[in-house]
Amino acid sequence: MPDLIEIRQVTKVFGRGATEVHAFGPVDLAIEAGQFVSLLGPSGCGKSTLVLMLAGLLERSAGTIRIGGKEVTGPQTDIGIMFQDNTLVPWRTVRGNVELQLEMRGMPPKPHADRVMSLLRAVHLEDFAERHPHELSGGMQQRAAFCQAMVHDPRIMLLDEPLGKLDAMTRERIRSDLQQLWMQQRPTVLFVTHSIEEAVQLSTQVAVITPRPGRIDRLIPIDLPFPRDLAVKNSPTFVGHVREIQEIFRGFGVI
Amino acid sequence: MASVLSEEPSLVAAIQGAIKQSWLFIAFFIGFFLFWEYSVVIFDIPRYILTPPSEVVRNGWADLDRLLYYTWITGVETLLGYVVAVVIALPLGLAIAFSSILRRTVYPFFVCLEMTPKIAFAPLFISWLGFGLLPKVIIVFLVCFFPIVLNAILAFNSLSEELTRFCRSTGAGAWRTFIKVRLPAAMPQCFVGFKYAAINATVGAAIAEFIGSDQGLGFYIQIVTGNMRPDLAFAGIFFLTLLGLSLFGAVTLAERLLIPWHISVRRAAGT
Ligand SMILES: Nc1ncnc2c1ncn2[C@@H]1O[C@H](COP(=O)(O)OP(=O)(O)OP(=O)(O)O)[C@@H](O)[C@H]1O
Ligand SMILES: [Mg+2]
Repeated sequence: MPDLIEIRQVTKVFGRGATEVHAFGPVDLAIEAGQFVSLLGPSGCGKSTLVLMLAGLLERSAGTIRIGGKEVTGPQTDIGIMFQDNTLVPWRTVRGNVELQLEMRGMPPKPHADRVMSLLRAVHLEDFAERHPHELSGGMQQRAAFCQAMVHDPRIMLLDEPLGKLDAMTRERIRSDLQQLWMQQRPTVLFVTHSIEEAVQLSTQVAVITPRPGRIDRLIPIDLPFPRDLAVKNSPTFVGHVREIQEIFRGFGVI
Repeated sequence: MASVLSEEPSLVAAIQGAIKQSWLFIAFFIGFFLFWEYSVVIFDIPRYILTPPSEVVRNGWADLDRLLYYTWITGVETLLGYVVAVVIALPLGLAIAFSSILRRTVYPFFVCLEMTPKIAFAPLFISWLGFGLLPKVIIVFLVCFFPIVLNAILAFNSLSEELTRFCRSTGAGAWRTFIKVRLPAAMPQCFVGFKYAAINATVGAAIAEFIGSDQGLGFYIQIVTGNMRPDLAFAGIFFLTLLGLSLFGAVTLAERLLIPWHISVRRAAGT
């Protein structure tokens, strides 16, 4: 099977001259269709930068990115992106915000009403469909933003810390919901996180990134059965992976 | 302000709260006018310098016909100047925000003009265009135009990076992006300009009338002051204030109807 996403020698340098910031790379990464790959790395290592370059929303300084064999030269419109800061607009309700994604694509929201509602139900927001973002907690906004990013049913999802603002309990629940969703439809997911355990639980592969300028230090395949419930999480293999990654970060001096 | 208590106020508590808040204001207001009323008597101030508010009301009432007519005159000048300013400044601000050529030519020019006191042009316009309606409308227009255009430029230029990226990621064209995201996102900042202009519109009209006019509230205030009638001057000022408040109130109402979701509106509504 050919790689769906190919990242080759991709580098990002912000600014020029004295104020130049080498943010990321060079990095090589190949992701097959249907994989769930986590980008795990300390703050400021360039995870969001990579996500934006993949989405064609930020120019890379060097290297090539191919999605489905086609080089990324501009915004990729057939993927789903959940940005680190949520993109809910204050003048629309939760439902309206999810529909905004459809409307922006010229899709009338009416025929997709069922899909919108089932997405909201999946993240337990069905009772808040007619509320505005300011009436929601940070975590609820993030869940609404997830629905907004996924409503057009993309085959590739770029999720930049989608669970970042959730409390530990909700986070656990949404995590397993996300895993269910991925197991059912097997989209290709690139998932950004700071949580080692989260990365190991959700991913087929974990890319461990060094501090800035970020490089992939190790690409760790996680060969554990799905769904990764409590039993799997207590297994020696799982715990071993977590330890292994902790050791790597200790080596970087970030923990 | 949103507080824990205001989350679900009982009706009684809401009314009590309102009374409590307004009480202070009303008491201060009454206190102020009582002080004014009696200080004129106590300090024995001559009536041609300051009259007590009771006389302002009485004599203003007697001259109500003229006051109302002049309010109408000044109101027309103000409203015309304001509306023309909105109609021209808003699309122009939009154009400048989206055109890099305009942004490098017209925009700095406007920023310079914003620094010059527009009122200083009033005598020129009156000498060019005479005592009629037109020079007043132009001066009100000038006073209102710059805050609206500059705030509109700011408004249409300050879509968050994240939302800009979201729009691009959907592949939506410029027009759809504008209608669905850029325009609504820009409204709050536009209203900052509309409101600021509304506050200053009557100032422009009154000063234009001071400089050269044979009717209107500015003219009235100037004439009665010359005739040693501060009571009537205050009556004129009262109507001028009323005019300004009406315009500002109308703009605020429009803001509430158009962007009820915005934080400033929600704060004002106390939810
Ligand atoms: N527009 C920019 N201009 C200059 N430097 C930037 C810009 N955006 C990001 N950077 C720099 O690039 C580096 C990587 O940023 P990025 O947002 O990708 O980090 P991240 O890994 O997503 O961090 P976090 O986990 O905190 O979100 C940072 O050190 C930051 O200072
Ligand atoms: Mg980030």
